[in-house]
Amino acid sequence: MAGRGKLIAVIGDEDTCTGFLLGGIGELNKNRKPNFLVVEKDTSVTEIEETFKSFLARNDIGIILINQFIAEMIRHAIDAHMQSIPAVLEIPSKEHPYDASKDSILRRAKGMFSADDFR
Amino acid sequence: MDESAQSLDENLLAFMDQLELLEEKRIRLNSLIEQGWFFISKARYSMGNKQVSALQYASEIKPLVGVHVRALGHDNVKFCTDLPKQKNECHNCNALVEDIGPKEEGVRRRIKSKQTSIEKETVEELSNIKSPEDLSTSKSEPNPQQNPLQWFGILVPQSLKQAQLSFKQVIELSAEIATLQVQILNSKQELKRRFQEKEEKRIKKEETTGC
Repeated sequence: MAGRGKLIAVIGDEDTCTGFLLGGIGELNKNRKPNFLVVEKDTSVTEIEETFKSFLARNDIGIILINQFIAEMIRHAIDAHMQSIPAVLEIPSKEHPYDASKDSILRRAKGMFSADDFR
Repeated sequence: MDESAQSLDENLLAFMDQLELLEEKRIRLNSLIEQGWFFISKARYSMGNKQVSALQYASEIKPLVGVHVRALGHDNVKFCTDLPKQKNECHNCNALVEDIGPKEEGVRRRIKSKQTSIEKETVEELSNIKSPEDLSTSKSEPNPQQNPLQWFGILVPQSLKQAQLSFKQVIELSAEIATLQVQILNSKQELKRRFQEKEEKRIKKEETTGC
């Protein structure tokens, strides 16, 4: 890597992770901790949530990409994250197309036009 | 119309523009990801079902791409990727192809027909002897910053290279979307603050006129 920037982390299915690792975002650090999590059928929700929280706690991660169907499993943790760094991006997965109405950022932006704001 | 209402309208329009831009970029991102999956599936079809999976990931992985975060003021940040240029990639590919070839240079002459040629050969051999530094560089060292394509083999199908290109574009676009998301959330906060200010002013005005 040319200049030491921040990393991009991925939580997704096998093909999504493979694609992004092909793109060159992958890292295994000195403690052998990866910046990606391949979610399979037997991956538990707690494991996903712990990984997501560990990515949030790492200060070398700038963006977290997460499949939307996985984001749905840990929605409370995503909604609780209010800081701009790391930015959380919800992306589609092979079996679940992207639904803008579920996106936490768009839901927050949509809140602008709720009845409470205009009262 | 007073100035505050006008600036509020302008902010609202800018906010709408940002949302529209986000939607456009999202559509492009989604189609690029789909394209990437399609190419991965094609590569899997030609290489074999288990040849493109998480099992092939290298044991040593170093990032080739990073994001630089720049503060823009008003709590806005900009995410910029440092993806290597296309030309450099091609140059690296050529270098890799050369590395794969035979390590020993020159052609060996096994049949020595004339004695007169022996002297010439010894001179050539002496000139071919490399310094210890050269030898150390020619040794095949595992390069941690190698192209991730090589995890899946030396001669990978074109479709896997196309998948890599698609995902590189996705990475670049995701940095742009992340920037836009932060801008949208900040614009929303700003708008909300202005709405409240406007409401307070209106209430005060009503109270004064009521008295």
